Amino acid sequence: MKKILSLLTILAMLASCTPTPENVQQSNALPPIYPDYCDVTIPQNIAPLNFLLRADCEAIEVKAGDITINARGNEAVFDIDDWKALLQQSADKSIEVTVSALINGQWTAYKPFTWQVVSDKVDPYLTYRLIEPDYEIWNNVQIQQRCVENFDVNAIGHYEKLENRCMNCHTFANQNPQLSMMYVRGPGGGAILNKNGMLSKLNIPGSVYFGFSHTGRYITFSTQKIIPAFHSDPSKRLEVYDSESNVCVADMQEHRIFTSPLLSDSLKFETFPTFSPDGKYIYYCAADSVSLPRDIKQLQYSLVRIAFDEKTGTIGTQVDTLYHQRSVCHPRVSPDGKYILFTVADYGTFPIWHPEADLQMLNLQTGKIDTLGIVNSAKSDTYHSWSSNSRWFVFASKRDDGLYGKPYFCYIDKHGKAHKPFCLPQAHPLFYDNNLKSFNAPELGKGKVPFDVDDVAKAMKKESVNFK
Amino acid sequence: MKNLYYKYYPTAAIILSAIIIWCFFQFWYPYHFFFQEQNQIFLWSRDYITTYTDKSGGLARFVGDFLTQFYYYLFAGATILTVCLLIIACLLYKALINFKVSKPVALLLALFVMALAAICHFSTSYRLSGTISIMGWLILFWVVSIIRKKVLKLSALVCCLLPCYLLFGSPAIAKIQMPDFVIEKDFAVDCEYHFGHYDKVIQLVESQDRWTDQMVFFYNLAQAQRGQLPDHLLRFTPTQLGTFYQIGPETPMLIIRNMNELYWALGDMTFTERAAMMTNVFSHNNRNVRMMQRLAECNYVSGDSLAAEKYLRILDKTFVYARWADNVRQNGKTIYQQKMQMVNRHDTISITDNAHLLMMQLLDANPNNTIALDYILCSTLILKDITNFKRDYDRYCIDTNNPRLKTLYQEALCIWLAGTNAPQQEWEKYIKRGDVFQRFQQYNQQRGNANFKDTYWYYFDKIKAPEI
Repeated sequence: MKKILSLLTILAMLASCTPTPENVQQSNALPPIYPDYCDVTIPQNIAPLNFLLRADCEAIEVKAGDITINARGNEAVFDIDDWKALLQQSADKSIEVTVSALINGQWTAYKPFTWQVVSDKVDPYLTYRLIEPDYEIWNNVQIQQRCVENFDVNAIGHYEKLENRCMNCHTFANQNPQLSMMYVRGPGGGAILNKNGMLSKLNIPGSVYFGFSHTGRYITFSTQKIIPAFHSDPSKRLEVYDSESNVCVADMQEHRIFTSPLLSDSLKFETFPTFSPDGKYIYYCAADSVSLPRDIKQLQYSLVRIAFDEKTGTIGTQVDTLYHQRSVCHPRVSPDGKYILFTVADYGTFPIWHPEADLQMLNLQTGKIDTLGIVNSAKSDTYHSWSSNSRWFVFASKRDDGLYGKPYFCYIDKHGKAHKPFCLPQAHPLFYDNNLKSFNAPELGKGKVPFDVDDVAKAMKKESVNFK
Repeated sequence: MKNLYYKYYPTAAIILSAIIIWCFFQFWYPYHFFFQEQNQIFLWSRDYITTYTDKSGGLARFVGDFLTQFYYYLFAGATILTVCLLIIACLLYKALINFKVSKPVALLLALFVMALAAICHFSTSYRLSGTISIMGWLILFWVVSIIRKKVLKLSALVCCLLPCYLLFGSPAIAKIQMPDFVIEKDFAVDCEYHFGHYDKVIQLVESQDRWTDQMVFFYNLAQAQRGQLPDHLLRFTPTQLGTFYQIGPETPMLIIRNMNELYWALGDMTFTERAAMMTNVFSHNNRNVRMMQRLAECNYVSGDSLAAEKYLRILDKTFVYARWADNVRQNGKTIYQQKMQMVNRHDTISITDNAHLLMMQLLDANPNNTIALDYILCSTLILKDITNFKRDYDRYCIDTNNPRLKTLYQEALCIWLAGTNAPQQEWEKYIKRGDVFQRFQQYNQQRGNANFKDTYWYYFDKIKAPEI
């Protein structure tokens, strides 16, 4: 008993040794925190925004609403229960956050900032692929699903169980975890379709980018020959382009594939197809073919759409061009059908390596383009996915180092105004500093998928369902 | 005296074995340690350390990786390994004695296990964590042995099995093999080149009776750094420049790492970064401290300070390289001044990593890049491609009014001039070395004579060019 008491005394003494602010000097600058959570809008159901101060500080004090953190070092880590209580009582209100730091024996209080908490929740699950940013060669690739309300992560595709194969593109139908698909590449690979937890392997030849129709009966997908190329200027690094690409539709009920001459024009490149939420249109990107790689800078994709009739499974006869400035990639329509979000780069079809790649949002009712100045950065901002309530989207941004994509969440309020995005919080603030994988192709889902990596491994051993 | 001998001979035998092991690894096998240290990274960061809890054997891997980082220092590798083996032998011996095994048998078993664990380290893929794991299980064995009551003994064993498995995993034994002194020499030249000890690399390779591609590759690279590649290109045949390699999914990690050194020497930062990332992908836990340094360096050189800082921050968390990272931050401009001037800012795009094309791009951007010049000229000469040699020589030596009057090039030009029946004024334009011209006339009278083994003419006539 004596020993326990001594131990408790020592622990109490250690805890009491954490310095607290005194003789505080005020600073007009915002604190140099990482990730940048200053003045961001966050959903009520997000995990604690743990951060660190990019300063050589001995101690830190953070006050956010009722919560006060006093810690040695430069890291602010919130207790998850306190955090949840704070967000619960702050719905549709602002939380003022003050950060003070002890640097060289002097306490400095930085300019306070706010967290705007909104009651519109973000879909709680985020699926992404973890891969080195080069993408050409892979080893130990994983597809993970992370609960954004806490820090729980589980793998739904894991290299150890899938013979170290390449895996990519896990997409839901209407953010519904009961209907989703992912690819496992290599010999004997295929598209793994999840229907209420029942997994099957589909052989959809050449399929790369795809999206479900709202009923889940159809998927539209692009087939392409992907060519990696290299810039001699090291600041531009890698380029990836298609030497040919077409858009097709697969009927998941009758297992047949069909297309239209308008979607597979040999003089054009067609890619990034996605259904509108009502299933009446296929939105995609199309470019006039040019001589590649020589004229890569003339390769400009427009945002176009073509009608689709889900009842009869027929493709329309007219292509409408919606936007044709610079090169458009990855169009995604919001689930309420109001907006279409896409990436714009100077040229080409691989915005992830284009620092100038930015997101833009087209209001489908007014035709107005929002260049999303508050959302974009000087580095690549691309590959986005909507939350089911159309109030949030997630996208991959390389704003921190230009190399490693991280998921950022952006709020779109009821007036269609975008708010400053924030990075997916991690249990440990140093996570992103130490991480050497890109969060590739982040997709939001309403729930946890009803399968795990073992189920995927079993599905891989099944016979493929062939498409005609 | 006899009693003393009987009392201490086991200790003496174990210590003597340890000394033999230490001497072997320190004097005959030291570069294996350095190779292991270079191809992993250990971060003293809570976020990183918690990743060791993902799988069983976390403590063994943690201790193993932690200690491996110190292999960087002279004597540390052999000393760390010997101490671990010494502990293993002592634990086993003591435990067996406690189990009433006779001294000679206990000693023999202890020495056997010690030797077996040492032999495992002949393999480059066997990590220190394997030895730590054996040590962990032997600690349990020893703890059980010192308990006197049988019931307690059994209870302790049962209670500790699971924790021991979780902490130390299953003890792994490598495939038994003889020490590989050829790989040791390969690692030696690689290591000495990395430290900039070019004279030592040259001396190491020249003192060998047999040489490998790896040795010749670094020999050439070391000569190129001294501006003497053409003077020594024909020293070893077949020679190895590395310029005919192309990186693909099947390329071994060591080759990719060598390519990284070549690209860095040539000054191509796009491909330096690509090869560094790919080496990381195939390293232990997809991390490699040498490539982390290289990624920081090449991004610093190409002016991407955000990307460079990403890697410097990682290196800050190592015990061994934190000072290096600081030095780059403070003196990077001076350290890399020459490299920074060589960076190619002319952007062209290519779909291949064909080194000839890369070197042309580098030389077009910077004709003073002597290493690239020597490599491009030597590469064509190795292939006996005199036409392209002459084209490149004209482009980068004659047109720029910067003739490189190396014997090798003069000899090759003689072949071209003689082969094209060039007029006298052409000979005068290209051949500036009277001694070469004179010797060429002598050679023509006795073609293929072994007295001319040191000339390009002999290589051209008698040696088979590599097939690419």
